[in-house]
Amino acid sequence: MNLIVSVLKKDDLCGKKIIETIQKNVNDVEIIYEEDMHIKGCIGCNRCWLVTPGVCTIKDDYETLLIKFLQSKQVIFITDLKLGFVSYQLKNIIDRLLPLATMHLRFKNGQMRHYPRYKKQYKMGLLYKGNGKQEFLEKWLERVMINLEGTSIGTFHIENEEEILNALIND
Amino acid sequence: MHLLMISCTPRMKESSNTDKILDEFKKGYESCGNTTETLYLYKRNEWESIRKKFYENDNILFALPLYVECIPGIMAEFLESLKPKQNRNTKIGFLLQSGFAEASQLRCCESYLETLPSFLGCEYNGTLLKGGMFAVSFMDGKIRRQMVAPFYNMGKYYAQKNYFHKEMVNDFAKPEYFSKKAIFFNTVLSPFNKLFLIMFAKKLGCKGSLHDKPYQSYVKR
Repeated sequence: MNLIVSVLKKDDLCGKKIIETIQKNVNDVEIIYEEDMHIKGCIGCNRCWLVTPGVCTIKDDYETLLIKFLQSKQVIFITDLKLGFVSYQLKNIIDRLLPLATMHLRFKNGQMRHYPRYKKQYKMGLLYKGNGKQEFLEKWLERVMINLEGTSIGTFHIENEEEILNALIND
Repeated sequence: MHLLMISCTPRMKESSNTDKILDEFKKGYESCGNTTETLYLYKRNEWESIRKKFYENDNILFALPLYVECIPGIMAEFLESLKPKQNRNTKIGFLLQSGFAEASQLRCCESYLETLPSFLGCEYNGTLLKGGMFAVSFMDGKIRRQMVAPFYNMGKYYAQKNYFHKEMVNDFAKPEYFSKKAIFFNTVLSPFNKLFLIMFAKKLGCKGSLHDKPYQSYVKR
């Protein structure tokens, strides 16, 4: 399954357009709209590492997402940019990836890293609407993925359909 | 000089590493005859008055923990609710701390913070960064005091220079990366670290293994 998680509103025209294009060109696409879900921010309690390993203590709709991340071949996040960064709704979703790692640490490529909890090749990409520094977003997503021992599909402006499709289909 | 300090961690003050660091920083800053006020984003019912204070003050420090390579979601949410200021008289400095120990882990977030004040119609006043702060709240007494003590001098520094200069920050945040030797020793000692964590988790009430895989049945490689 290929998962799209959009924090844009369902009636956002740019969002609609790219989602339709992806659906036409990629098989087995499932779409989740953040506005349909109730997802809170990480409260930094560390319970998913130390008390109930792998399980987030916040009981909201996030568990559904976490399970889908484990099931998906690739995940594509769609967001608008706010203050040069992804919107807080998406950052909340990313902050709560922590249960996918364990508390234990080791060195990987010269830096400290947590052990991934599951054996899984995560692939995640980011489509953004609005203006921002592509270079920073690219670096940020790459580093997010290092924490999961996964790979970044890349970050793309939402209107660069051709590039987006190339990145997705070739995967 | 008056400094408005906004704590951007979602943790409550009692369990927050950021706030313990900030308290020490504040003492140093005030020791030079300055005044401060600290506000907390985790107190969501105060956001309206925090916004008001943001507009009224022109010397502001945001203190934050590193959350997945950048600012925590709660901070992003608060910032999105602000209107940019019209005259660029406001200076914003940042105090960024993380669990990961190396300064290199904080650089991605730092590069974002460098750009952030301009979106708010403000000037950038530098970022003080420091890793290795995961255990501050778990420790008590002397060890905790030792961990946060260096921030007293940083408070004094900021009071005097009114900017976190890169050279000073880089020195304070060392090591940028661990040396090969340090990595070797860390790897040798890692079974002991793991054991310590397992015992610590037990004390907190953990019944399973820290490696548990509660959603294993869903995993599709």
